[in-house]
Amino acid sequence: MSELLIRNACVIDPLRGINAETMDIAIRDGRIVEEVSDAAEVIDARGMLTLPGGVDSHTHICGTKVNFGRYMSPEDMRAGRTPRRGPLHATSGYSVPTTYGNSYRYSVMGYTTLLEGAMAPLEARHTHEEFLYTPLQDTMANVLFDGNWGIMEAIRDGDKKRVAAIIAWTLKAVKGFAVKLTNPGGTEAWQWGKNVSCIRDPVPHFEVTPAEIIRSIVEANELLHLPHSVHLHCNNLGTPGNYTCTLGSLGLIPDLNKKRQTLYATHVQFHAYGGSGWKDFCSKSEPIARFVDMRPQIVMDMGQVMFGRTTTMTADGPMEFNLYRLHHEKWSNHDVELETGSGIIPVIYRRKNLVNSIMWAIGLELALLTKSPWQCLLTTDNPNGAPFVKYPEIIGLLMSKKYRDAEFATIHPDTASRVPLPAIERELDWYEIAVMTRAGQARALGLQDLGKGHLGPGADADVAIYPLLIDEVDPSVDYRKVIDAFSRTEYTIKRGRVVARRGECLVDGSNATFWVRPKVSEVYDMGKDPDFIEKFDRYYTVRMRNYPVQAEYLNRNRCIETEAEI
Amino acid sequence: MKVTLAMKPGARSFIPIEAESIVPKNFLAGTDLLVWRGNREFRLDEVFAVSVEGDADRSEDVEVVLSGETFRLKRVGEYMDGGRITILGDIGMHCGNFMSGGTIEVHGNADGWLGREMAGGTILCRGDAADYCASGYRGGRKGMTGGTVEVFGRAGDFLAESIAGGTVIVHGDAGDMPGAEMHGGTLIVHGDCRRPGANMKGGSCYVYGTAQGMLPTFKKIETVQHEGRTLIRFTGDIANRGKGNLFVKDYEYLD
Repeated sequence: MSELLIRNACVIDPLRGINAETMDIAIRDGRIVEEVSDAAEVIDARGMLTLPGGVDSHTHICGTKVNFGRYMSPEDMRAGRTPRRGPLHATSGYSVPTTYGNSYRYSVMGYTTLLEGAMAPLEARHTHEEFLYTPLQDTMANVLFDGNWGIMEAIRDGDKKRVAAIIAWTLKAVKGFAVKLTNPGGTEAWQWGKNVSCIRDPVPHFEVTPAEIIRSIVEANELLHLPHSVHLHCNNLGTPGNYTCTLGSLGLIPDLNKKRQTLYATHVQFHAYGGSGWKDFCSKSEPIARFVDMRPQIVMDMGQVMFGRTTTMTADGPMEFNLYRLHHEKWSNHDVELETGSGIIPVIYRRKNLVNSIMWAIGLELALLTKSPWQCLLTTDNPNGAPFVKYPEIIGLLMSKKYRDAEFATIHPDTASRVPLPAIERELDWYEIAVMTRAGQARALGLQDLGKGHLGPGADADVAIYPLLIDEVDPSVDYRKVIDAFSRTEYTIKRGRVVARRGECLVDGSNATFWVRPKVSEVYDMGKDPDFIEKFDRYYTVRMRNYPVQAEYLNRNRCIETEAEI
Repeated sequence: MKVTLAMKPGARSFIPIEAESIVPKNFLAGTDLLVWRGNREFRLDEVFAVSVEGDADRSEDVEVVLSGETFRLKRVGEYMDGGRITILGDIGMHCGNFMSGGTIEVHGNADGWLGREMAGGTILCRGDAADYCASGYRGGRKGMTGGTVEVFGRAGDFLAESIAGGTVIVHGDAGDMPGAEMHGGTLIVHGDCRRPGANMKGGSCYVYGTAQGMLPTFKKIETVQHEGRTLIRFTGDIANRGKGNLFVKDYEYLD
C-alpha cells in the first residue's frame, strides 16, 4: 500500500466545481481517497496551482504516420536531442520526437492522458507498440472509419445497424477507443486521385455522400453507447471559404447524448476560413463560434497554429497533396487498403506570411469567442498546428491581451484587416484554462467516470502541481511567468507516483491503454457474418484471423465494455 | 602556440575516434581533453603524444598539428571558430562540421562530409575529398552557408549538396550530383562531373570540364567569357522554378 498526501494545494477542479480552494489531496494506491494514514508520504504544495493531470484529446504521437514523419524528416531528429540519464532514455526530435521524447515532454508539462487522434485499423499494431513506449501517460486511440468500404456499402444500403456492427467489430479487433472520421469519403476518393469538395458530393464508386457518412456514423456511435462521440475532421480542410462546409457539417448533428457532446469537431481552426482564394483569405471564426455556442451537442478543439517548424500529418491525403503543391517540400502519401489513407509533409509557419498569420489568429479567436470553454478545447492537433510544447505559450496568449497585442505587432501587417482578433478583449482565467486543458477534454472523451480529469475520491491520482501562486500572479501582465510555470510542473503525479519534478522525469512509468468493447447481439457479430468475411478474404492483403491486435500488445489495459443497442 | 598531436601506434584500432574536442580554442585551457572511441572515453594523451610549444590567449594564435594514422579521427574541428588545424595525413569523416572561422589544412585525403554545414573559415584539402564535401546533412535544408573549401584532388558524389553560401573549389573531377539542391554560393569544378546542379534554385555552379549526364531541366541561354574561358550558361533547375546559373565548358546528355 502506498500513500501520498499533497498538502496546501490550491486546487482548481472544474468537473467538481472547485475554483481555487486550498485543500489537501489524499492518494492511496494510485487513486484519490478521502484520507490517508499518518504514515503517508507528504508533498507540501505551498499554495501552488494544482490541477488534475492534463488530458490531450487530440494529438498524433504514435503509429505509422507519426513514424513516417520521423523517417522523412531526419533533420527534425537532429533537434531536441537529450542524453540518457538515470531511468530516462535518450530522446531526439522536435516536431515528431521519439516516443520517449513525447512522453517525457508531455509529463514535464503535467499531461497524464493522451488520445492518439488517428489510427488506421489495419496498422493498429504499430500504434499499440508505440503506446507501450510512451510510459508516463495513459493512452487511447481514435480509429479511422472515413473510407471504410463495408461501412460505406452499409450506408448506401440504409443499414445503420450494420454500420454500428462493423464499428463494434473493428474497435474490438484493433483495441481502439473512439470513431474518427477524417475528410469522410474524401480520403477514399483520393485513392482514385479525386476528392470531395464538401458534404454533398458523392464518393466515387460508393454513391454515398459525406453528409450520409457523418450522420449514419454519428447515429451508430450512439447505438453502441461509446464513451466518446464521433471525432470529426471535416471535409475541405485548409481551403479558403471552407467555413460554410464546416457549418453545414456541424448542422447535420442531432443532440443524442445527455452526458456529452454528439460530435467532437477537431482542429476547427483549419476549417474556419473565409474568402474565395488565397488573395482574399480571411478569418470566419465568428460564425463558427456563434454556431457552436448554440449547440451543446458540439465540442471543438482549436487546432492552434504557432509559428515555427513542424510536420503536418493526417489521414486527409488529398489535402496534404494540395499543401505539397503549395510548399514544394517533401511529401509522403499512403493508402491503407479498404480503410483510409494519409499524407505527411513538413511545414514552417512564418510570421511574415499573411496566410500563416491569419491561421494563427483564427485558433485564438475560436477559443476566445466561444462562450463556454467546455466547447472549445486547447490543442494544436500536435504536431499539425505546432508541436505540443507550444501549449504553455497558447495558454499565455489566451490569458493575456497584452501578450496577444505584442505578438500581433510582429506578424504580417495586413492581418489586422482580415481577422477580429485585435478587437477581442477577453482574457481567460485559470478556471477556464483548467477546463480547456483537462476537465473539458476528459468530459468530451467520456473519461470522467473512468477517473480522469478530476480530483474527486475514486479518481486516478493524476495530478499536476504548477509552480504558480495564482493570487500573486496577474496572468494578463506576467504572462512570462504563466508560460514558464505551465512548461514545467513542480510535480507531475501519475497514478499516485511522482513521475516528474521541476522539469526532470524521475521514473519510467507503466501506462495503461484504454479501449472499448461494445457488446452486440449474435446477429450483429461481424466476425460471423458471411458477407463481411467474404469481403475481407477477397480484398484485404491480410487474413481475417491475423487482423485483430493480440492481447500481448496491451500490457496494462482498461477495457471499457458497453451494451450496444444492436 | 603550437600543439602537436601525434597518434600513438598503440591507439591503432579499427574503431573510429570521435574527436570533436580537437578545436584550437579548447587548447587555450590546456590539453586536458577527452575523446571517445566506440563506447569508451579516453584522455587525449592516451591516444596521442601531445606536445605544446609556446602559449596563446586567443584561439587565432593556436595551431594544432595532427600526425600519424589520423584517417579514423572523426569530427576534428567541429564548431571551430578560429586558429589553425594542420593534418599531415588523411582525416576521417565530418572534419570541420559547422566551422565558422579559422583554417583547416589536410595534406592527405579527407573522408565524407568534409566541411559539412560550414558557416565560415577555410578548408584546404591537398588530396581528395570523399562524398558530401561541404554539403548538408541527411534531410537538412542548408549545406555550407559561408567560407571556402578548396580541394586540390578529386571530390566524391554530392559535392556541395544544398549549399546556400560560400565557395567550393575542386581542382580535379567531382562525382555525381555536385551542387544538388543548391540555393546560393559558388561551386567551381575544374574537372568533369556528372549531373551538376540538380534541383538548384539559386547560386552559381561552374564546370570547367564536361558535365556528363547533363540534366534536361536546364535551359541553355548563351555563351559567356569567364576568367579566360568560354563557357555555356544554363539556367534552372526549371523543374523546380529555380533561378540558378550553371556554366559548363562542355556537356553531354544521356542517350
